[in-house]
Amino acid sequence: MKNSNILSYILAIILAIIFIYPLYILILIAFEPVSLTFDRLYPYQLPFDFTLVNFESSIKDLSLITPVLRSVVVAFIVAILAIVLSTSAGYGLNKISSKFSNKIIVLMFFANMLPAIVIAIPISVYFIKLGLYDNVFGIALAQELVVLPISTFIMLGGFRALPVDIENQTNIDGANLLSSFRYVLVPLIRVPLIITFLLAWMTSWDEFTYAIIISPLAPTFPVSLYDYVSRGDPFISSSFALLVTIPVIVIVVFLQKYLKGEYLTGGMKA
Amino acid sequence: MTYKMELINLKKSYNSVKVLKNLNLNVNEGEFLVILGPSGEGKSTLLRTIVGIEQLDGGKVMVDGKDVTNRPPNKKNIAMVFQNYALYPNMTVYENIAFPLKMAGMNKTEIKTKVNDVAKLLKIEDVLDKNATRLSGGQKQRVAIARALVRKPALFLLDEPLSNLDARVRYTSRQELKRLQKELNYTFIYVTHDQLEASNLADRVAVLHDGVIEQIGTYNDLYEKPATKWVGDFIGAYPMNFIDGNVLNYPDKIIGFRSVWTTNGDTIKAKINLIENSEGNYYVHCTSGESNIVIKTKDQYSVGDDISFDLTRFNIYNNGVLEDVKLTEYYKSEPS
Repeated sequence: MKNSNILSYILAIILAIIFIYPLYILILIAFEPVSLTFDRLYPYQLPFDFTLVNFESSIKDLSLITPVLRSVVVAFIVAILAIVLSTSAGYGLNKISSKFSNKIIVLMFFANMLPAIVIAIPISVYFIKLGLYDNVFGIALAQELVVLPISTFIMLGGFRALPVDIENQTNIDGANLLSSFRYVLVPLIRVPLIITFLLAWMTSWDEFTYAIIISPLAPTFPVSLYDYVSRGDPFISSSFALLVTIPVIVIVVFLQKYLKGEYLTGGMKA
Repeated sequence: MTYKMELINLKKSYNSVKVLKNLNLNVNEGEFLVILGPSGEGKSTLLRTIVGIEQLDGGKVMVDGKDVTNRPPNKKNIAMVFQNYALYPNMTVYENIAFPLKMAGMNKTEIKTKVNDVAKLLKIEDVLDKNATRLSGGQKQRVAIARALVRKPALFLLDEPLSNLDARVRYTSRQELKRLQKELNYTFIYVTHDQLEASNLADRVAVLHDGVIEQIGTYNDLYEKPATKWVGDFIGAYPMNFIDGNVLNYPDKIIGFRSVWTTNGDTIKAKINLIENSEGNYYVHCTSGESNIVIKTKDQYSVGDDISFDLTRFNIYNNGVLEDVKLTEYYKSEPS
């Protein structure tokens, strides 16, 4: 009993180290002088020195600010669009028999089974005609391809977890579709909504393939970060990457308290 | 404030399964009507189609002489209490009860007086600020009824509202429900599979079987004069006994009688298979001719004995339908 407990702690710590290690290296590169990291054949794994030079130069060099802002705008468009579309899709799919809705979900994942680059090129051809090329909205629409299947899946699960009679009760109590959503359904599916939002936001924040093909001249942050690294300026970009990771971590930590299961189970007796 | 309702030729089927087949039912003003039937006979479906959360395939729902069949649920002015109460878990008790009024666009002060009034009526004033999920089963049920009452609907539909409660709470809730209905003089339609609830609550009981109302009447009517063999079999703690009519010189007919309609005698003979002791009385399961019957007696027998008895009264069934009700020479106006 006790031994297995200790074992699970050890496993958890090992897992945590694996996940945190890249972040640690990023921090190391950002705060160490170049002589200790990139100039060495075998860089030190432990901090021996501390410098803010990289940060200073990354803040002074404002060329990364525009891509970051662009990424933020795209991420919010993707997340909001994902919430609106996947909520209505999940609500509708929940009304039909699960035999069909499961098949539709599988179909939605179809686009993700092909390599993104195969889809991105024909899309960009059409987007040029539509004026969505090199455009924030264009990137967002393309990234929706990645985000929507999983978002719809999550929202469908959220609606399925609701007791059927709750919505019926709102109708009997005189609510139309809109007020039943506003007062009862949305508060009850807020956990899947938040998960969908976070997932869509972060997927878009990281997304590279669609972003670089659809909008090469007005790049998002991952694209220009890649430019920096390949142009040989990894110090500035790693310190900058660290700066923009902080808000993401803050958002996740802040929203974490809503990600508890109990919001879904309350109220109804089985 | 009380309304009558008529259901005319209601039809509903799921895929190929016909749940309601031309169902007709009249409910009087201020009546407590209980719809009784075994599980899976479409009792809940009937309520759901009346209130409109499920579509009818045909037929009409008339409330107070007006056809409301095609109105959406939120325009029907029919309240319904679900078996699991369907309280809104994201709201307090107060907000739950206030919800129908809020949807009706009532102003805040008016809502407040109405909610407080109905809370007082149902004795839930002290839990108004609690979250709906933090209540006991009995309180949840009261809140659900309060939410239905507060908007003064034309009709109340209740779908087995007591079945999730403990035995003791169920007893008190039952009395309270009856008191409430008589006091407010509302029309209640109450669905249950529990005969005790039906006999306790109902002004009239409608037995739902095979998609139609098989019989409607007071519980005593259903008990003493079941219109069909099926109703006789279904109603009562023990099913009605059915034996061959030849025994009492009714050839080609079936005789039906209750376990308690027996007295000492030697007209009918049977062999005992099983004896149940129930609070000083014995329920004797025995075989008479081809049929298995149950007889109540005060005398002690043992398994394998022969038993003979006479009937104080019996019903005659022809092709499964009640034809005649007979009281015999042993009948006393106060049956034991």
